[in-house]
Amino acid sequence: MRTSVTPSQNVTRPSVSRRIFLRGSGVAMTLPWLESLPVWGTEAPRSIADEQASSDYPRRFAALFMGCGINRDHWWAKGSGSEMELGKSLQPLEALKTKLNFITGLFNVHATDVGIHPGQTGNILSGASLKKGSELRGDISMDQVLANHFQEQTVVPSMVLGCEQPVTGYHETNFSMAYSSHISWQNATSPVPMEVYPSLAFDALFENRGSRRNESILDRVRDDASSLSRRASASDKAKLDEYLNSVREIEKRAAAMRAVQQKAGQRAQAKGQPLSMMKRPDDGLPEDIRQHMQLMCDIVAIGFQTDKTRVATLLLNRDLSGLFYPFLDVKSTHHSASHDDLSDEYERISRYYCSQYAYLATKLDAMPEGDGSVLDHSCLLFISSMWSGNAHDSSKVPVLLTGGLGGRIETGRVLDYVGKADEDRKLCSMYLSLMDRMDVKLDRFGDAQSRLAGL
Amino acid sequence: MRRVALALFTVSLLLGLRSSASETDQSTFEKTVKPFLQAYCVDCHSSETAEGDLNLASYTELDLVVADFRRWNVVLQRLQADDMPPEEAESRPSDEQRESIIRWLQSVRASEAKRTSGDPGPVLAHRLSNTQYDNTIGELTRVDLRPTAEFPIDPANEAGFDNSGESLTMSPALVKKYLDAARKVSSHLVLTPTGLDFSPHPVMTDTDRDKYCVNRIIDFYSRQRTDYADYFYAVWLFKHRTDLDRAAATLDDFANDVHLSPRYLAIVLQTLDEPTSDIGPIAAIQTLWQELPSGVSEDERDTARRHCEHIDDLLVALRESLVPDVKNLTAPQVHNGSQPLVLWKNQQFAANRMRYASDALPIDKIDLSSAIPDSLSDHESLVAKLSVPEQPEAEKAYVSSLQRFCEVFPDAFFISERARVYLDKESEKKLAGRYLSAGFHSQMGYFRDDQPLCELMLDESQNAELDRLWFELDFVTSAPMRQYAGFIWFDRTDSAFMRDPEFDRFRAEDKDCTSETKVRELSDAYTAKAKRAGASDKALSAIGDYFESMSATFRRLEALHIDSQPVHLQALLQFAERAYRRPLADHDREQLVAFYHELRKVDGLSHEDAIRDCVVSVLMSPYFCYRVDLASRNETRSSAKIEPLDDFSLASRLSYFLWSTMPDQELWDLAAAGKLHDPDVLVQQTRRMLQDDRVRGLAIDFMGNWLDFRRFEQHNGVERERFPQFTNELRQAMFDEPIRFFIDIAQRDAPVLDFLDAEYTFVNSVLAKHYGVPDAAVERESWVRLDDAAAVERGGLLPMAVFLTNNSPGLRTSPVKRGNWLVKRMLGEHIPAPPPSVPELPSDEAKLGDLTLRETLQRHREEKTCAACHDRIDAFGLVFEGYGPVGELRQVDLGGRDIDSEAEFPNGTSGQGLVGLKHYLKTSRQNDFVDNLSRQLLAYALTRSIQLSDDDVLAKMKLNLTNENFRFGSIVETIVTSPQFLNRRVE
Repeated sequence: MRTSVTPSQNVTRPSVSRRIFLRGSGVAMTLPWLESLPVWGTEAPRSIADEQASSDYPRRFAALFMGCGINRDHWWAKGSGSEMELGKSLQPLEALKTKLNFITGLFNVHATDVGIHPGQTGNILSGASLKKGSELRGDISMDQVLANHFQEQTVVPSMVLGCEQPVTGYHETNFSMAYSSHISWQNATSPVPMEVYPSLAFDALFENRGSRRNESILDRVRDDASSLSRRASASDKAKLDEYLNSVREIEKRAAAMRAVQQKAGQRAQAKGQPLSMMKRPDDGLPEDIRQHMQLMCDIVAIGFQTDKTRVATLLLNRDLSGLFYPFLDVKSTHHSASHDDLSDEYERISRYYCSQYAYLATKLDAMPEGDGSVLDHSCLLFISSMWSGNAHDSSKVPVLLTGGLGGRIETGRVLDYVGKADEDRKLCSMYLSLMDRMDVKLDRFGDAQSRLAGL
Repeated sequence: MRRVALALFTVSLLLGLRSSASETDQSTFEKTVKPFLQAYCVDCHSSETAEGDLNLASYTELDLVVADFRRWNVVLQRLQADDMPPEEAESRPSDEQRESIIRWLQSVRASEAKRTSGDPGPVLAHRLSNTQYDNTIGELTRVDLRPTAEFPIDPANEAGFDNSGESLTMSPALVKKYLDAARKVSSHLVLTPTGLDFSPHPVMTDTDRDKYCVNRIIDFYSRQRTDYADYFYAVWLFKHRTDLDRAAATLDDFANDVHLSPRYLAIVLQTLDEPTSDIGPIAAIQTLWQELPSGVSEDERDTARRHCEHIDDLLVALRESLVPDVKNLTAPQVHNGSQPLVLWKNQQFAANRMRYASDALPIDKIDLSSAIPDSLSDHESLVAKLSVPEQPEAEKAYVSSLQRFCEVFPDAFFISERARVYLDKESEKKLAGRYLSAGFHSQMGYFRDDQPLCELMLDESQNAELDRLWFELDFVTSAPMRQYAGFIWFDRTDSAFMRDPEFDRFRAEDKDCTSETKVRELSDAYTAKAKRAGASDKALSAIGDYFESMSATFRRLEALHIDSQPVHLQALLQFAERAYRRPLADHDREQLVAFYHELRKVDGLSHEDAIRDCVVSVLMSPYFCYRVDLASRNETRSSAKIEPLDDFSLASRLSYFLWSTMPDQELWDLAAAGKLHDPDVLVQQTRRMLQDDRVRGLAIDFMGNWLDFRRFEQHNGVERERFPQFTNELRQAMFDEPIRFFIDIAQRDAPVLDFLDAEYTFVNSVLAKHYGVPDAAVERESWVRLDDAAAVERGGLLPMAVFLTNNSPGLRTSPVKRGNWLVKRMLGEHIPAPPPSVPELPSDEAKLGDLTLRETLQRHREEKTCAACHDRIDAFGLVFEGYGPVGELRQVDLGGRDIDSEAEFPNGTSGQGLVGLKHYLKTSRQNDFVDNLSRQLLAYALTRSIQLSDDDVLAKMKLNLTNENFRFGSIVETIVTSPQFLNRRVE
């Protein structure tokens, strides 16, 4: 039954044409955060006064992962603020060093002495003790804890992206290779499905796949409810209308969201604000890994800028990676190269990964938001599974943090935890501290019950 | 059929003649009742001071009284009990005045009941309650998913049940939860070649799909019994069946008794009996076998069992010695762990499972003297049988015996896990638990090796099932494609074989990497390079076979993915039909199919995503998540105000009543055949359904609400520091006790009076300990009936710990709450809520001061306004004072004062403790209990409050109970054949 509804009620039909409209042309028009609002969340736009308060900007978190460690000879930093000196591999961050924290000495105890590679990776964001053999068992990762917290506030609770396909099978340590492929886990037994296709990652963000699919379903439910209602008695009709109205209400909210976004777009244009544009990436996987990684970083950046999501993980490569780097003049694969981790070749690889991280940070820093930039309201984590790929040493891992989470993290520092008691240098303690500053306060996480001192 | 039709006719007729009450009642109302109310009642019960929530001044017309008779029933009760107006009232009516009002109320009630008798009443459409939703999803998916875990708790209706449209409302927030729940369920959906399945865990990632498919195969394997000793022993038992008093039992019976394969048992029997040359392993086994005991005494059976184990040991040692050593197949530059070479090796092992590979003779490898147990036979003759003979003729016989031996006794029936097969066996031993793994390094891949199981043990249907499971592993997980991607990756990384630029265009990431052309091209390039490097013909053929078989598998799976799409669509329609609990109309089918196509074409979803979203839409459809009783379609819509439910609505009404879930296939079939309205069928189905496990749904939903312990599993009102015995296990056991008691009554069709006065109850070890059952012969986790519960002061519902605990505020007992619970819930008395000014009792018994709880209450009752209610309540709580705050038996209270459980009951008699209470109830209140139970069960069954039109059926329930020795089934059967259950109002 297609009841006619006045446009002001925003319950436009027919549904099909609306969905066609939504598919759009494949070019996403992105608006600064304040102009775009979540579809399923609260409707009221914030007041101007709120807009001024920098602390009120959404805080975002992203983790970029690199497998097999770095070249430690060139992975160092000294001094603080603009005086900070950076090792060769960290040169790509030179311009951002006041917004950087270089951290060393942190580790995850359950990734030591259990067997190399998968056992050092599948728990990098959870601190869990992993199970060997067929049955996968670890724990929820910290990005997913954050995602669960923000799921009502953003269109996409989290982006879980990768630039190298996940694999399964078994490593010689008898850990499943799935641990080498997944750093984001939704619970103890299941990794979050990881998107490696830039085009699909883009769609998930801008076609609002989840919510659009829900709308298609609700459309149909409405048809069912009205057809059932016609066959029911008068008093039953009243009960069914209760359902129908509830469904309508949800659709109405979604439609209202869209209207607000459209209006905001027009307003922004009228004010002469440039709209960032991003073309939908081509289907399939990019031939060149450099292009692949940059596209994924672009998608994270635009997802953050438009507040479609506040949480992302990007697995730049798997641990035990089979990626090749002809453009770095390296012959062997990533994993093989890491066995000679003090070589020039591996320094180039380490620096290249750092440059990808710097690329994302720079991009976010170029996005103005309030008094600062999107980067200032974010925290980007760079982490690897090992300190030394040759020794497969995870008694400490390389960690970089960029962005101040809206003034909640002091930046431009070198934080050295080497030599501290194991109790005082846990990765999970850092995760507790970071989650705290995103208003997710937990008593414990992974193996940690206390915050990281000095962060 | 006739009885029902007649009932229906009467109802319509009477409802049609809507008339007001009799003239006498009308004039009495004006002349006698109104003045009475004015004089004695409205001082307290008027609009300003509606005490007891009753405003009697508002009933200005007789029709208003009739319409709200439920309240007037309370008035009737109180007048009959003569406790209203209260004793301290300024003026009280004479007995005669009181009698006349009572007579009038009875007359109004009778004439209204008669006029509307059998009226189905207003039964609203309603969404499934949370438990119904969970149960229905469980039934529909055959997996216990409980998606409502995060839903708000369902409120109860006026009758106290959470199963009616009165209280089950909907909101946008709840719709969103429904959507999440439906999504959650759909994430468990597995698309198989033959239809739709649901997994116990989500299956959205490769690792989860692997887990689902692999576990099913592993479970299948682990159900098989493959120990040779078990088979020898079973044959021995079979041979002695006459001595075992089982002369008539067949070999199959002996196999099935202990879940052995009948097929293989017959083979073993035949092998043990078959004539053989007196040389070779079978001859040796036969010799040993013949030495098994000839009698079947317990000792002899032990001996036989032990000897069978020895034969097994020898057999396995012999068999292992015959397994040929398979060397790695190698080729220059090709990595030993490369997939074609590893798979070749796996195939060799598989091919040798039931074959004698002539390069090995057992005698060379094993130390026979230690392999043959001392207790058996003489070594020399056995060693002779097993030694390789020197004469060529004898050697021939020997070898043929080895062939037969290997054929019947495979070295393994199946391989369920595999380490890396191309590396040293010993050093790989620690790599356990790689289920079904093909034995590659760092790459996924499965390999099936279970031919002996299939050929020697499984019957046709088991073989079909196992084939299906393996096939679904490939289909559901895309394992072959992922394995192939791993192959390319491995041969570029760990192996350097494919690092040459000519291989650059074969990338695992490319979507067409498994296309026929690409696979052939890689095969050519790979083979050419291997050949150039000097690979043997054997290696080249292994490489060729690999690519060919992978390509064939890809093609087969591709075709199947396309062919299975219409199958899934068909399965979706069947799913919808079951979910909607009624046959789909043509246009329902069309709409669902159209929706699928729209999702594919317009929304651009993949087949799997589209099916998944269709499943979500089915679960969001009100046809699924609401219960609406539709009228029979073929009945002409006359002006009748009442009409029969259609058969499918009736099936749902029955199943949600007795099971709290959707109808099963049998109910569906009867509804489809139009037979469900037949009273005989109804009664027969009711009896069947009460015997089913799902009757737990009735026990929990009905009884849990009726007796107010529905949420006890989350009860947190106990201070565990003071009562450390109150563990989660004990709490669960407390909750389960009445549930088990109820199910027992329902399934034995026992008298409902047992609820009140049974001497037995049910306990598990935790509860037995709590109850102080001496030396309980109760195994952990298992429940037993405790016949002499009276010995530990239990038996029946009344002293169950769950009620005593639930009605205690923590650190003390509450005779008021316990008494109120008993009077209200068990006996059905109406007790108004306490006024707001009630003084608080201390929360801890230890802090009561000099007075006991009993004395404190006594003082409270001295207040006249309090006494009206407390006189009716307190006694029923005080008798339980011998039970502490968690229902434990006790001699002194928490303040150290002696317990006194004596009480004076409303009829002036007194009694002590449980025995006194039971005696009083038995002699004075049995009727009240039975009436109340009937009313509660009827209200639950009809999903509405009781009204006057139900008086007839209530009377009939009572009559049938009395005539049929109070058996539980009689009230259920009376309900399901009543006009109110079978019909619906049309409004």
